[in-house]
Amino acid sequence: MNGSQTSYILAMTAVCFAITILLRAFPFLLFGSGRECPKIIRYIGRVLSPAAIAMLVVYCLCAVFRNKNFAENGFGISELVASVIVIALHLWKRNPMLSILCGTIIYMILIQKVF
Amino acid sequence: MQKSQTFRASFIASLPVLMGYTAMGMAAGILLAGKIERQDITFWAFLTSASSISGALQFAMVDWIANRTALIDVMLLTLFLNIRYAMYGFSLLERFRDIGFWKKFYLIWTLTDETYALEVENKVPTGGDPIRYALGIAALDHLYWICGVTAGAAAGKFLPFSNEGIDFAMTALFLVVLTDQCREKSNRIPAAVGIISAIAGRVFFSVDNMLLPAMIIIITSFILLRKKLDSGVKA
Repeated sequence: MNGSQTSYILAMTAVCFAITILLRAFPFLLFGSGRECPKIIRYIGRVLSPAAIAMLVVYCLCAVFRNKNFAENGFGISELVASVIVIALHLWKRNPMLSILCGTIIYMILIQKVF
Repeated sequence: MQKSQTFRASFIASLPVLMGYTAMGMAAGILLAGKIERQDITFWAFLTSASSISGALQFAMVDWIANRTALIDVMLLTLFLNIRYAMYGFSLLERFRDIGFWKKFYLIWTLTDETYALEVENKVPTGGDPIRYALGIAALDHLYWICGVTAGAAAGKFLPFSNEGIDFAMTALFLVVLTDQCREKSNRIPAAVGIISAIAGRVFFSVDNMLLPAMIIIITSFILLRKKLDSGVKA
């Protein structure tokens, strides 16, 4: 049934593209022509970003256990260890890709070989 | 200043992103080709990565295609996964003023976390054109991402090891972004608000439904806490 899957993928791609580009364009659409940005919007904008990222971290960690049993998979120890390594390595070396690569590789080894 | 010298500066600035996007892009491409059984999967890797240019979406799309997730849910999840992009442009409003529609369109389209960071850093060589510099970074980062995801999808089937757990790269990305943001003291309480709200969302809803309640709690909390958190300082 590849035909209908193709239509789905096209539609999904279009939706993702449209929403993402609208989000990126948001400040320019609203305040591009020199209109003054209300203080409350600036405030929300400033505090929302770290909050959204933190929320996404929690979301990602919860999503791991969408179909996997928490207790049967080491009570999240692989996730915890890998996350700590990412943070520690990043605080130390400040290299995003080193942190992401090492954390991911260690995580893969942990869930495939250890737990 | 030679056009090529400015471009060279863009290239050098973008080298860390070359590393990162290749690594993370390949992870996403490998995952996509692994989960979605299609002859033309490499083409879709190309199209999705080129159009959205978003790591979080690239990983999420794999599940969406596999499960044929309802488009309304795709819409909402995209909104929450990428809402931080709506804040990036505020720092670039002045820089991108009056540069012509197509340049502005391209710079906005390609505004990812890493590209944003480089644009704000703005290490334009003296005498160089800042917009040419910005476009160079944007285009290079865009290219790196497309190549990473497409190559991952093309080669993914031939990996000598299992790709189980490779999607941890997305979690790792967010942890890295969060860590960098929390170096700045004023971001720590907002981050804490985010964590608590997310946990609250998860306690009362399933994983797939937790983001909307979490966002509502976050916005409500910030409005209530405005006196404490908004010193009316730099915006």
